[in-house]
Amino acid sequence: MQKDISAILKSVSKPARYTGGEFGQIVKDKQKIKTRIAFCFPDTYEIGMSNLGMKILYGALNELDYVWCERAFAPWPDMEEKMREHNIPLFTLESKDEIKDFDIMAISMQYELCYTTAINMIDLAGIPMYARDRDENAPIILGGGPCAYNAEPVADFFDIFSIGEGEEALCELASLYTEMKDNGTYTKSTFLREACKLEGFYVPSLYEVSYKDDGTIASFEPKYDDVPKRVVKRVISDLNTSYFPLKPVMPYIETVHDRIMLETFRGCIRGCRFCQAGMVFRPVREKSAEVLNRQAEEIYKNTGYNEISLTSLSISDYSCLHEATDKLLAWTNDKKVNLSLPSLRADSFTRELMQKVSSVRSSGLTFAPEAGTQRLRDAINKNLYEKDLLNAVRLAFEGGKSQVKLYFMNGLPTETYEDIEGISTLASTVIDEYYKTDGRPKRPPSVTVSVSCFVPKPHTPFQWEPQDSLESLRSKQMFLAEKITDKKIRYNWHEAKVSRLEAVFSKGDRRLSKAIYVAQQNGMRFDAWDEYFDYEKWMEVFDKCNIDTDFYANRRMSYDEILPWDVIDIGVSKSFLISESKKAYESQTTPNCKEKCSGCGANKLGKEHTWCPKKK
Amino acid sequence: MVPEEKIKVRIKFSKTGDLMYISHLDLARTMQRIILRSGIDIWYSEGFNPQPKMVFGVPLPVGVESECELMDIKINSYMSNEEIMQRINDNFPTQMRVLEVYNPEVKFKELCYIDYDISITSPKVNEALGEQIKSLFTNECKIVKKTKSGEKEINLSEYIKLLELKCEENTLYIHTILPAGNDMNLNPELLIEAIKQNIGILNTDSPSEHYSIMRKKMLDSDLKEFR
Repeated sequence: MQKDISAILKSVSKPARYTGGEFGQIVKDKQKIKTRIAFCFPDTYEIGMSNLGMKILYGALNELDYVWCERAFAPWPDMEEKMREHNIPLFTLESKDEIKDFDIMAISMQYELCYTTAINMIDLAGIPMYARDRDENAPIILGGGPCAYNAEPVADFFDIFSIGEGEEALCELASLYTEMKDNGTYTKSTFLREACKLEGFYVPSLYEVSYKDDGTIASFEPKYDDVPKRVVKRVISDLNTSYFPLKPVMPYIETVHDRIMLETFRGCIRGCRFCQAGMVFRPVREKSAEVLNRQAEEIYKNTGYNEISLTSLSISDYSCLHEATDKLLAWTNDKKVNLSLPSLRADSFTRELMQKVSSVRSSGLTFAPEAGTQRLRDAINKNLYEKDLLNAVRLAFEGGKSQVKLYFMNGLPTETYEDIEGISTLASTVIDEYYKTDGRPKRPPSVTVSVSCFVPKPHTPFQWEPQDSLESLRSKQMFLAEKITDKKIRYNWHEAKVSRLEAVFSKGDRRLSKAIYVAQQNGMRFDAWDEYFDYEKWMEVFDKCNIDTDFYANRRMSYDEILPWDVIDIGVSKSFLISESKKAYESQTTPNCKEKCSGCGANKLGKEHTWCPKKK
Repeated sequence: MVPEEKIKVRIKFSKTGDLMYISHLDLARTMQRIILRSGIDIWYSEGFNPQPKMVFGVPLPVGVESECELMDIKINSYMSNEEIMQRINDNFPTQMRVLEVYNPEVKFKELCYIDYDISITSPKVNEALGEQIKSLFTNECKIVKKTKSGEKEINLSEYIKLLELKCEENTLYIHTILPAGNDMNLNPELLIEAIKQNIGILNTDSPSEHYSIMRKKMLDSDLKEFR
């Protein structure tokens, strides 16, 4: 097998994507291993190797001495063509062994547009894509990642999904698998039946779904009494003691995030109503500054990276940010290691913070007001005021910056043309602020306005919302283009067709699987890549499968409807989401978790380590 | 105060197997991290964006393996060459090995030629084919060479300083010396390209036909080993 691979590598682009052998990769003695797991990422090596979740799970699973977890990424179409031509099935980077002989094929589902690529990996491995077509010899196909929070569109392809944070859960699953293989009780069905009783695992084939005449769900029930009615997501309660990879694999080729990524905390105190991450990762759990610093030193020693990025959903909400940056800067400056703080909120941007981060080198800063008027920012619960933004940009300008990037969304619930015009006005105000700032740099300012399209997401207060129609999104984008006349403002907008397809899958149910299957059969892959995204082809596929995309993307769901993802319990109650949804229409904000507990319900999952003022 | 003298260290290392697919730029970035995690007190360039200073002999093209890569660094404080070798080897991936560490006396600009072993495997390889290739490279052999200033047609045989062929069952071994200096240099892949164009082998990616190129030795203008 090895020889065949090397024969084709010279004729494909970026062959180093497929060779593995990096410093830090884990190679074990096959003879001593009971359970082999192929951790598959349905995108390129460069994207997958930047994913912190994958680094954590790869390391955590390999801590088990009876498990060998290896990596595989989706081959780029030129490589796929060669592999198919020479009958080379999908292999892992570490051993180059064929994945079809593994025990578990775990696929990380990070975003909706990876679905065709994901099932194509199953196909490339030489494994039947539909779970019902696979026999006892096929690996267990396990899904996880953010898309597992509504896995229904791909439910027919997977045997089991890990819901929530996986570092403990996957180890438990591997342990159950190994034990059942060892004691001879293993069959695929007995294993899945046992596995669904572990915390945080969803086995779609154990649920029966029926539909009403209008297409909505009539019932969604477990087939057997011992199968849980709802699957509660897993959370790690103590980030100070949980596994964190200190010796990550060092890619040779440049990846998207080629630096030390240090996780500071999980969850978010904010509760923006459009944001899925802000809901599903609740409750907030922090790592102590001490542990963070110790991990940073260790990873630096093991990697030689010269940049540390502190990751989180909103870094300025990290309660030990100042302590942590002080501890880090005490040694990073000497070693010429840069510190970067992505996801800064404008209302907590201070001079002190700006001086600490060495993203100072770049001349730009990014903030995300999301909406152009206070009314709409209140409706989405962004809790950001114009004065905060202006204060932040002034500090940045005083500190020598001249470029600001601002992120917004079109098509948010309750949006009017006044709100859209507000985006242009806000950008102009930032330019004005530049000229009002004493000690600004000598160059002219530049403000980049980046506007994406709102995609309603499961488990958020906006989950019942329809997406704006394609036509409406388009005309809103054009309207804004006309409003922005200042040459110092650069305006980018996202392709609305991409967002529409995301909305279909994001709110989709099990009936979509046949469209994903047909799309894969038609050679569609890498839908998230501009060069392969083909909206018209997708619409043909949906037509052929008699799927009405409006039903998924553009229909307002009712509060009492059974939602495809109701089977998943993220800890946040439906009544909280409904109350948040109603408040949006009255432009009423909800205080963040630091100010006041609003009783979303997620707190119970964090046990004694939950960050919550009520508990302290 | 007399400024402390930096110690110049030359590292000879191999880069083989799948690592042939790692480009020079990727290698440079990788090497920077290897040196940093080795804890070697490397000298940083000065200026706005200080970088650990590393100078490579001759960039290794993608697809070519090597047993004789050279890299110079400067260190701020004394460390024995054995210790440097040990530390880097501990941090190298398995397909890279430090072969020697020494304090160089000659600059890279004196490096003129590189000695290569090329092996070509194909069911079509036999003595006659070997002769054909030999005559291809000893007579005028035009091929397009990409240079910084664009493409130009060159005569390969003018570049080949030495050519030895040996034929074994299905495999042809070529030992050659090619220029690698500033004025004149040649990527050994061009020899393969000429064979593909003129001899009609290696044009498929079938596993039965393949080739490999190995850098064996760096040479000076007298064809003596460059150190």
